[in-house]
Amino acid sequence: MDVFGSFSLLLAFVCALYAFIGGIAAIYTRHPLLIKSARQSGIVTCVLIFFGTFSLEYLLYSDNFSIAYVVAHSNRDLSSFYKFAALWAGQEGSLLFWSCLLSVYIISVLIAYRNKNGELMPYVGVVLAGVQIFFLTLNNFVESPFKTLAAVNASGALEMVTRSDGNGLNPLLQYPEMVIHPPNLYSGYTGFTIPFAFALAALLARYPGEKWIHLTRKWTMIAWCFQSVGIMLGAHWAYAVLGWGGYWGWDPVENASLLPWLTGTAFLHSVMMQEKRGMMKVWNVWLVFCTFLLCILGTFLTRSGVVSSVHAFANSQIGPWFVGFMGVILLVCFTAYFKNRDYLKSENQLDSMVSRESSFLFNNLLFLVACIAVLSGTLFPVFSEWFSGSRISVGAPFFNKVMIPIGLAILFLTGVGPLLAWRKTSVESMKRNFGWPLVTGAVGGAIAFALGYREVYSQICLFLCVFVAATIFMEFYRGAKVISARSGMSMMMSAHELAMRNTRRYGGYVVHFGMVLVFIGLAGAAFNKDVQKVMNLGDSMQLGPYTLVLQSGDTKVEKNYTAERMIVEVLKNNKQLMMLYPEKRKFSGNEQQAGTMVAIYSTLRDDLYVVYAGQDPDTNFPVIHAYLNPLVKWIWLGGVWVVMGTLLALMPNRKAALVLSPAPQTAGATSPIQQTLNPSVSLREGHD
Amino acid sequence: MTKARRPALFVLLFSLAVSPLVAVRLAAQSDHARQFGMKIKCMCKGCDMTAGGCSHPGGAFSGPCETAKGMLKEVDQHIAKGETDDQILQAFVAEYGSVVYVEPPKHGFGLVAWMMPIFYIILGLGLVVFFLKKWRKRAVDAPATAHAQAAVNPSDAFERARAQADRETEE
Repeated sequence: MDVFGSFSLLLAFVCALYAFIGGIAAIYTRHPLLIKSARQSGIVTCVLIFFGTFSLEYLLYSDNFSIAYVVAHSNRDLSSFYKFAALWAGQEGSLLFWSCLLSVYIISVLIAYRNKNGELMPYVGVVLAGVQIFFLTLNNFVESPFKTLAAVNASGALEMVTRSDGNGLNPLLQYPEMVIHPPNLYSGYTGFTIPFAFALAALLARYPGEKWIHLTRKWTMIAWCFQSVGIMLGAHWAYAVLGWGGYWGWDPVENASLLPWLTGTAFLHSVMMQEKRGMMKVWNVWLVFCTFLLCILGTFLTRSGVVSSVHAFANSQIGPWFVGFMGVILLVCFTAYFKNRDYLKSENQLDSMVSRESSFLFNNLLFLVACIAVLSGTLFPVFSEWFSGSRISVGAPFFNKVMIPIGLAILFLTGVGPLLAWRKTSVESMKRNFGWPLVTGAVGGAIAFALGYREVYSQICLFLCVFVAATIFMEFYRGAKVISARSGMSMMMSAHELAMRNTRRYGGYVVHFGMVLVFIGLAGAAFNKDVQKVMNLGDSMQLGPYTLVLQSGDTKVEKNYTAERMIVEVLKNNKQLMMLYPEKRKFSGNEQQAGTMVAIYSTLRDDLYVVYAGQDPDTNFPVIHAYLNPLVKWIWLGGVWVVMGTLLALMPNRKAALVLSPAPQTAGATSPIQQTLNPSVSLREGHD
Repeated sequence: MTKARRPALFVLLFSLAVSPLVAVRLAAQSDHARQFGMKIKCMCKGCDMTAGGCSHPGGAFSGPCETAKGMLKEVDQHIAKGETDDQILQAFVAEYGSVVYVEPPKHGFGLVAWMMPIFYIILGLGLVVFFLKKWRKRAVDAPATAHAQAAVNPSDAFERARAQADRETEE
């Protein structure tokens, strides 16, 4: 099977080369057969990569310990569930997995558009094949996952060796979320290749209009959604498994996943400027280019070891390859831009400083500043070593100080931006739109203060969260009221109808609401408390309103690990609340590492987070580390809303029944043109 | 899959430990030392965490390592000598180098890290204001030009108006 896998990848490399070179020839000759063969070669490349990936999975499941990768990342006792995840546990497998996910996107695009956009698709195929060639080069010639174990025998010749068992999977990865977190994150990273390919292709082909944006909008949203889910799951994994009480440590690997998410978010907003007003064409193209480059940069940072990270899981010598690839991408992008920049001539005009357009500019400014600040902070230790000779660390306190004000400014714009009309917003309209949300925000802030959340940034954050939630609620309420008045439907049904008529706009609002929930959760971090104690049987510790009593401990022997478990009774106001069971798992063949299974009692108000840290090296008694983390649950709830909003935005609009009676003048600065042409659909320029 | 609960190890451990030992805080260091420990990195080179918050995720013992404990003891010794936080920090920098900082110092090359975000914001704001003004000016100038063009070719103006209406009403 390893030979089959290796051969599949080698053949895939050849096919990708053909798709690339044949594609370029097809662009010049416009020969229909050449165009078709290049496209089909692209499809075959993807299928062959699937074969290669299947081969590695087969080797993992069949415990083939003659393969170095299987020995390094699996063992006989590993459950089937985690054998599947071993595919991306190491450098070679994760690069193959990257190629595989990229192929899913590419094959979908090549098949979906096989009879459409004939002028553009050959260029798209060439760009996609170019990206595949790079990853297939790594899969075949640099980090092959099919290397066999070999040793020199007595006669001095190399011979194949088969081990009786493998080293097993990294204990930190043996957690259910690690089976879905990397695929989501990788799907995000690889998904941004599609808008990149279309943007570059449109520029190279001088493809007319905003067609590439319409074509890639959904692909971009899918990639963004996967990236968001991946980041959320990664944060939850860090929270539930690493046992340090937090969910985001500004580690270089975490930062690497955030960078393309920030520029991708900026792009999803600024693209509306191009669609609606024909503005910012150059900016949008470069945002897409940068997002893709940041995906590659993120992969480079994770794997090259250029920055130290607690969970840069695979460091190796492939850094120069990524640097070279980024150099080539930059060269191609700059060349395409300077050659065809007149094609990107925008219709940049601004009717008023107070308008949706200006809010989008500030939105993009904040996302870009956030991105560059995170990037420069992540790379600063390297820069400081280059320029000053000594490495200066940049840890979480720095990022918190820099990013909290930027995050709050973005939150503020989340509330303000969607309520500003395109072109111009009147003072009257602003009063009408912002009056109640401001009052509600002030009340919300006062309640938070009364509840004890008294820290400047948290106070501002909670005020803004209520303000933004109120603006979103009013948007739904106003629209639903109009539909309800016309159709006689209930307000709930009308709100549903409203959302389904303009899924992109209202899906966007749902995403914004999800982000509000995330920010509520983040605001709680300022009030975290923790206690760490060496405990004896029957000992107790107090944390906030909770009393923790260590009742007992036992061990649990499983096939692949042995768990030491503490039994902790939790009391609140001297009444028994529940039992918690924090664990420490020790895996066979990996004594230096252990898995921490945190016991969490989670409510909307706070999380009681209990870690069994192990036995104190001095006394051999158990050490219990308990944290009280307010509002954390809101972060995970917010993540769910973000996904729901994105899914809503991806759905097609439901056609509104044409109502010829004039719409009542209830809300917003409606364009006269819009009311005349489309009286029943929308009252005001949408978020989309 | 073999599954067994073996309370033996810990029950034995605990039954041996029924002596009237009072549970103690893990860190023998003062709160001040632990708070200060949040400002310096644990120099064990295995965790990349602060000395005060060292918990070695994924390690066999997820609590402060010997290095972190040693560093906090050292902090307490400095505190006992009556040194200020700044003096203690400088003592650690002298011992371990600038890598001991959790956040860059606000002097020397470290200041660059703090200035960069401010620089980005100022530069970005300048660019946004520049483009807003430029586009606003273009819009002010545009109606006169558009009016003149419409007089020359009314059908072009109509097409543009229609395209604009399409854009504005597009869902």
